Amino acid sequence: PLPQAAEPLLRIDDFSFTYRRASQPAVRGISLIVEAGEILLVAGPSGCGKSTLIRGINGLIPHAYTGTVAGEVRIEGRPVAELRLRDLAQVIGTVLQDPARQIVGATVEAELAFGPENLAVPREAIRDGIREVFEQTGIGHLSGRETAALSGGERQLVAVGGILMMRPRLYVVDEPLANLDPMTASQLLTILRRMADAGSAVIIVEHRVEEALELRPDRVLYMEQGATQYLGPVDGFLEIADPALVKLPFEAIVAQVRRSHASASAAPVPLPPASPPHPPQPEIPPRVEYVDVRAGYGAVEILHDVSARLGATETVAILGPNGSGKTTLFKAAMKLLPLMGGGIAVDGEDTAKRRVVEMARTFGYVFQSPSQMFFARTVKEELIFGPSNFGADPASFDELVRDSLAHVGLDAEEDILERPPMTLSFGQQKRLAIAIALCMRPRTLILDEPSAGQDHASAARFMAQVRAIPEIESLYLVTHDVDLALTHADRILLFREGRVVADGSPAEVVRDLDRWRACNLRETTLMQANARWAPADGGFVDAERLAAIAAGQP
Amino acid sequence: MWEVTSRVVVYAAIGAVLYGLLLVIQVPLPGTQNVSLRPAFGLVSFFGYAFGPIVGFFTGTVGNAIGDQLSGYGALTAWNWSLANGFVGLIAGLAPLYLGRLMNGTLPQRALGGAIAGVVATIVGFLFVWTDMVTGGMDFNAVLTTEYIPVVVGNVIVTAIVVPILVFVWEPIKERMGR
Amino acid sequence: MNYAPRYLGRGSWLARRDPRVLILALFLFVFTVIQMWDARVVLFLLLVAYTYYRSAAIPWPGVRRQWAFLLLFLTALVTLNSLITGGDVPNIPPGQYDVFFTVPILGTPVSAQSVAYAGTQLLRFVAMTMVGFPVAYAIAPDQFGIAFRRLGVPDKFAFAIDLTFRFLPSLSNDMQTTADAQRVRGHDWQEARGGPIARLRNTMPVVVPSVINALVGAEDTIDAMDLRGFGTGKRSWLKHLVYDRADKLVIAYFVAQFAVLTVLGFTTDISQIWVPPFLIDLANR
Ligand SMILES: Nc1ncnc2c1ncn2[C@@H]1O[C@H](COP(=O)(O)OP(=O)(O)OP(=O)(O)O)[C@@H](O)[C@H]1O
Ligand SMILES: Nc1ncnc2c1ncn2[C@@H]1O[C@H](COP(=O)(O)OP(=O)(O)OP(=O)(O)O)[C@@H](O)[C@H]1O
Ligand SMILES: [Mg+2]
Ligand SMILES: [Mg+2]
Repeated sequence: PLPQAAEPLLRIDDFSFTYRRASQPAVRGISLIVEAGEILLVAGPSGCGKSTLIRGINGLIPHAYTGTVAGEVRIEGRPVAELRLRDLAQVIGTVLQDPARQIVGATVEAELAFGPENLAVPREAIRDGIREVFEQTGIGHLSGRETAALSGGERQLVAVGGILMMRPRLYVVDEPLANLDPMTASQLLTILRRMADAGSAVIIVEHRVEEALELRPDRVLYMEQGATQYLGPVDGFLEIADPALVKLPFEAIVAQVRRSHASASAAPVPLPPASPPHPPQPEIPPRVEYVDVRAGYGAVEILHDVSARLGATETVAILGPNGSGKTTLFKAAMKLLPLMGGGIAVDGEDTAKRRVVEMARTFGYVFQSPSQMFFARTVKEELIFGPSNFGADPASFDELVRDSLAHVGLDAEEDILERPPMTLSFGQQKRLAIAIALCMRPRTLILDEPSAGQDHASAARFMAQVRAIPEIESLYLVTHDVDLALTHADRILLFREGRVVADGSPAEVVRDLDRWRACNLRETTLMQANARWAPADGGFVDAERLAAIAAGQP
Repeated sequence: MWEVTSRVVVYAAIGAVLYGLLLVIQVPLPGTQNVSLRPAFGLVSFFGYAFGPIVGFFTGTVGNAIGDQLSGYGALTAWNWSLANGFVGLIAGLAPLYLGRLMNGTLPQRALGGAIAGVVATIVGFLFVWTDMVTGGMDFNAVLTTEYIPVVVGNVIVTAIVVPILVFVWEPIKERMGR
Repeated sequence: MNYAPRYLGRGSWLARRDPRVLILALFLFVFTVIQMWDARVVLFLLLVAYTYYRSAAIPWPGVRRQWAFLLLFLTALVTLNSLITGGDVPNIPPGQYDVFFTVPILGTPVSAQSVAYAGTQLLRFVAMTMVGFPVAYAIAPDQFGIAFRRLGVPDKFAFAIDLTFRFLPSLSNDMQTTADAQRVRGHDWQEARGGPIARLRNTMPVVVPSVINALVGAEDTIDAMDLRGFGTGKRSWLKHLVYDRADKLVIAYFVAQFAVLTVLGFTTDISQIWVPPFLIDLANR
């Protein structure tokens, strides 16, 4: 397509879209202009229509999705609806949210070559392109690897590489940071920044706003229920955004509190109650005890001599790089993979003789990807599947189902019991997975990446809900959301290359920043603020309360 | 029906892989030595019925080859059997030609349609194994009694049960995804 | 669930050949063998097959089980076949059999002819299998797509084959996860309960999510492909294949073998069953 100087790179006029089977539009009346070299950050609660807007930009709407479109999207002056996907592909490069699904090549080279191949680019040109992209992205060391054997982070970078190969003038990136550890996340943002500096435009959808700001976006589009709530410079956004809905840098929150003080004629806001501190009493015996555990897949050892004790009444968070073995750690505890050495004891009893099914009576285990267990036609069937396997009394099912759904806040959904599980939104699926675990009445709940792909508000809500459940004695979670872990956990395990490198209270663990960074973690503004403002008692204070304190001081 | 979109290509690849991998799941039939129910076989008809003849054919042919490969039997050792599987998928994929009315009916009707198409496809498609008479110099009756009957009986049972289940779960989700 | 496409012949002489060679060789060979019924010719072909097979250097331990299983299976098949056919042999009138003995109950005569027939049948099977194995074990997984493409398979189908190898490991992991997720809920498809139908249904909690999740996930893959212009026109391939001299020689040999034996098959009677004299003597002792 020939660029027309007068026309902006992307121009959206009053764009609305309603999916074929949906009752109301997923996106309504969006208008915006993006010029070359510009970065636009798109934020908003889950289900607000961000991905739909993206589909409107890259041409999947109307080319692949049927529905009712209103308004118009123009690329360099030409309506997307009239361009072929083949032509659009040379202007717009899209990175979908889930790299595991976006990647079509069996090897890294195959993945990078895929786009140019489709455009019949000659072999030599493709080779050169691959070499360049390796330099730009610093993923040259992955050359020749099988894409299936890459860690989540590496896979995300390769997916981006595949888009770079197309040399598009507009990059559209949908929630690239979900499932990435903080270091890898910033590495990816750096690449995007470089593309913008080189003259391309970037549109990035992201829940992790605080980290996305590192991109130094020119403008922010904040959406709710498919409509524009805010469109303008970053500073203005930080002033109006609600910290409960969007994860903001700490200073922004403090600034907001100060302003509200001023407006509320300096009436001192009452401090929200602190979360009750768990006294870390000596656990005899601990719920789970690892002793020199070695485990892995096939011949590959992933966990190397791991020893750790997880208390029966603790909340423990595992932090660590992508592919460091966090998920594997709990799979081993659930006896989902054989130990190569060492032993695991549950409540003081060696698990060697116990079967997975027995473990299931103690632990509610929620997998990283929730949908992989859904098979039933309705949510209700799905929920009672576990209990009936354990021969629970069918009379108790209705109550069981109601309780567990209420705990995860799904009971409000209309005719939720009859919905096919796979038709729930990602966030809802994750919570249903927890409800399924709760149905087994576990004493310990294990959550793998509970906050991945969730917006700030629902992530926080759902942690609160889970911790409020009385029969759950202990909660173990794996996460990349540093602040979530620090504010909710009694104890943190830092994990790296299959080894526990640190074990202690949040306050203790964050003290050694070099070790912290070595685990691909970064210092969040909340951590800095805690170091500066937090009361000396050593506990880690959440943003809301800390902001209230900080705002009081000069 | 014969247009090859990226959708067709992806479904074909996925069908083949799933069929090949799931072949490890086998339920022995009591009272028979070598006959066992292989739930995966239901996928051949399902993929054909749900996504068309091309997807069905690829799922059957390549999937069976993968299954043979993983079981160590060798991908192309029984290539004519792989083709037979392919024809099953193909015929199931032609359902619109002979089951048009059921396919445009209610969900239960479509599920039933899937079962019928699958059973027909299985009975017809496996006629291809008589090529063993050429490749192996087998006798007509030998093929019938030692190969065709045992295989088709088991697979008809599987198809009649598995295909409707898959249709019942998949269709509402497909509707929801709205494309 | 071990998915690994086992590239056992890695680095061997045959593995270094252009993958097209192995595929062409198999089909040329199969179509040669199926014409031949003279045990002497079949033995020769078996020798060729064996030499070819050895050049793939497939480690014996890796395929021991398969061969055992195969031979057992084929023998059973061949025996059953001759029992069912009542021991008679194509193109040899019933009168002319040199019978060893008749199988008790069934009353099937076991003759020099039927034994020769069964034996030849077995040799043919083994020969074809030997040439088939290298295709399975001596072609790098990522070479199949381009190989079939260069053999004239259309772009999209060839790519579908590549895509198959892309999905193998990931879907296999997903399936494992699904099975695990169900075990965590107290369900194990391997636990045998009830009759065959009940057990079949018992596997659904693993089969259904595996299929449905793959299909739902496919939506993104499809988008990703459309967004990179897949199937919108002629495509190029990064991978490149060229026949070297050895490749050409191998193909030339199999073509020649096919041609010569086909001609002989029509002119001489090597396409007829040959009964070794010593068998006849044995029968007439
Ligand atoms: N393929 C589809 N068919 C029908 N409705 C859809 C489809 N995809 C999304 N929706 C609906 O459109 C609305 C917006 O979905 P969308 O995926 O754009 O939200 P999102 O902002 O990307 O959410 P998330 O942050 O969770 O990705 C939601 O109500 C969703 O249920
Ligand atoms: N099923 C599997 N087969 C083979 N290797 C695997 C499998 N699952 C994971 N791995 C490898 O084991 C290592 C640890 O994986 P694991 O999922 O435990 O990492 P993780 O810490 O959970 O990473 P993430 O934060 O991305 O979830 C990774 O290198 C991964 O590639
Ligand atoms: Mg989205
Ligand atoms: Mg993980």
